[in-house]
Amino acid sequence: MAAVSGWWDDFFWGSLVVVELFFVALIMTVLFGLIGAGAKLSNSRVAKSIASGYTIVFRGTPEILVLLLFYFGSAIILTAIAQIFDPEIKFVDFPPFWAGSFAIALIIGSYATETFRGAFLGVDPGQIEAARALGLSNLQTFIYVRIPAMWRLALPPFGNHMLSLVKDTALVAIIGLEETLFVAEQAIAYTAKPFTMYIVVGAIYLGFSTIITLTVMGLERYANRHLEVWR
Amino acid sequence: MSKADRQLMIELENVDKFFGSFQALKGVNLTVGKGEKVVVCGPSGSGKSTLIRCINRLEQHNNGKIVVNGHELTGAVKDIDAVRREVGMVFQSFNLFPHLTVIDNLMLAPKLVRKTPKAENRKKAMRLLERVKIPEQADKWPSQLSGGQQQRVAIARALCMNPEIILFDEPTSALDPEMISEVLDVMIDLAREGMTMICVSHEMGFARSVADNVVFMDEGEIVESGPPGTFFDNPKNDRTKLFLKQILSH
Amino acid sequence: MSFDIELILDSIPKMLVGIGLTFELLFLSLALGTALGIFLLILRISGRWYLAAPTMVYIYIFRGTPILVQIFIIYYGLPQLEFVRDSIFWPILKEPFGCAIVALSLNTGAYLSEIFRGGVLGVDRGLTEAAAALGISVRQRFIYITSPIAIRLCLPAYSNDVVSLMKSTALASTITLLDMMGIARTIVAETYAPYEVFISVMVIYLVITWAIQRTFAWIEKRMSRHVRREA
Repeated sequence: MAAVSGWWDDFFWGSLVVVELFFVALIMTVLFGLIGAGAKLSNSRVAKSIASGYTIVFRGTPEILVLLLFYFGSAIILTAIAQIFDPEIKFVDFPPFWAGSFAIALIIGSYATETFRGAFLGVDPGQIEAARALGLSNLQTFIYVRIPAMWRLALPPFGNHMLSLVKDTALVAIIGLEETLFVAEQAIAYTAKPFTMYIVVGAIYLGFSTIITLTVMGLERYANRHLEVWR
Repeated sequence: MSKADRQLMIELENVDKFFGSFQALKGVNLTVGKGEKVVVCGPSGSGKSTLIRCINRLEQHNNGKIVVNGHELTGAVKDIDAVRREVGMVFQSFNLFPHLTVIDNLMLAPKLVRKTPKAENRKKAMRLLERVKIPEQADKWPSQLSGGQQQRVAIARALCMNPEIILFDEPTSALDPEMISEVLDVMIDLAREGMTMICVSHEMGFARSVADNVVFMDEGEIVESGPPGTFFDNPKNDRTKLFLKQILSH
Repeated sequence: MSFDIELILDSIPKMLVGIGLTFELLFLSLALGTALGIFLLILRISGRWYLAAPTMVYIYIFRGTPILVQIFIIYYGLPQLEFVRDSIFWPILKEPFGCAIVALSLNTGAYLSEIFRGGVLGVDRGLTEAAAALGISVRQRFIYITSPIAIRLCLPAYSNDVVSLMKSTALASTITLLDMMGIARTIVAETYAPYEVFISVMVIYLVITWAIQRTFAWIEKRMSRHVRREA
């Protein structure tokens, strides 16, 4: 562990990058998931087929492939655009942070699409009918009955999506983002202690996973508090 | 039957059973002789099911003594499976193995436990299916049968092991009303053939015509017991009277 | 920017050379991971805390850290430790292929044991009780009653995990292996045509995913004969 001592601050900054990446990608994931679920549940055949194309592609392709395609692909487009203005430019790359968070969000968003869709359909139709029968408007029914019921159903799978998301951030080191795995590689170049450094990275991720797991457990308990009355 | 030549099959002495701090059985005493039929009734949560589940040790009692056909079920029982072979059980929810056909449901235990030849098991299984009047369903999946048919298969499955005793845990409670009698008929047949039976049931007509002894339980205790004539027509305890009034009034 | 059809036609056969390695990684880690998953399940449900507790820690660690970090620890990290270099496992662990198999199996085993546990817990307790009441022993109950029902219950989750594992095999390219992904990355590095190459390999991966899903759908249908009402 002595070898790590000079690297704690680098690991700290690396961890901070992971946190930033996590939250940025999380917001986009929810967005993609909601759009995808909305499209799948819509009456438009076009929207439906685009959404199912989206989930099939992003759930069936290796994460690293999506990431590399985005990073190098976007670089090609950006370079082409830049060359219109200045033919001297050889290479413009999309910042790894944004390419990474966008790619991860698209991947996890494809899973979230199914989760949100399932949660929407999973709400007991009897509850909706009961709300309508009581004279609640469509919007009121949606806000007061459907959303609370939906998020109870979506929470456990969405917790798993968040775990996948945080773990996928490690891949972004491959395209050069200076997160923990990248820090470890630099540290290894100096110290020649790969085992130690990668274990530190593993421990950091285990910490993140633990925080997410505990948070989701707390939220689930809150969401299901009405079931505990009789215990 | 006179007391003297009564051969005891089941003996419970001061049996207590706890689930955590909740006491499900409180000092229960009960004896069942060979060929006797006992019907146990009582409100839900009174410990009826727990009582018969202790007899084949699906639950372990905490205090007291249980002897089944000469095997003492106290403390660490060496070969509980040997006892269970002699005690058949029929459940409220049938519990047929859904991944096996009807005939395979009947043949599984003889194959695994008795290790008898397959042809023999099949012959016996078919004979039992005829006895419960559904031989034509032998090759179907349990999910394709009605509740009443499933329960009859479950009885046949228990009989496949040639048990000395059969325990029934509310065998007709999960059935639609029109299917109850087909199951009770099979049980009455069994009773006539001299099987030793303990039956948790609220079928009072069945109890009256078949039981040697009717037991009323409440809050984990045996409140009253006696032959059906006395039990139904002349109950002594107030709790028994109230229960009978509630159950017979509809 | 134009789409180079010739390059696609040229690189697909090259990448298909790597499909053998992809399949080797997939099937070997799936077999080992399944065996490990069953082993961990048995420890977990043994009812003995000194067997169950270490299993839970194992599962927690392997599910809580990125598979990429696990691969790096095993491939780059372990050689730092002298006792690993002296052990009988060294011939496996000094090769990238061996490391990839070890990492993928250890990882998928942790996930699979949780899936199997879900299946076992999903088996109606009444069924095992009914078997117990017939005098069938604990072991026979597990083999003849619990297992066949649990297998059917966890088949959909198992199928998803096989897809995940297949996607994870692409990470073997990060430790110099030339599976499909590795070859694709090499071609991209030479030609700098990420779209053509990565999209082609994506299509191949999607076909494999599709084949896996179809296979399991077929198995599931066969295994569900008994729940169909129709005679």
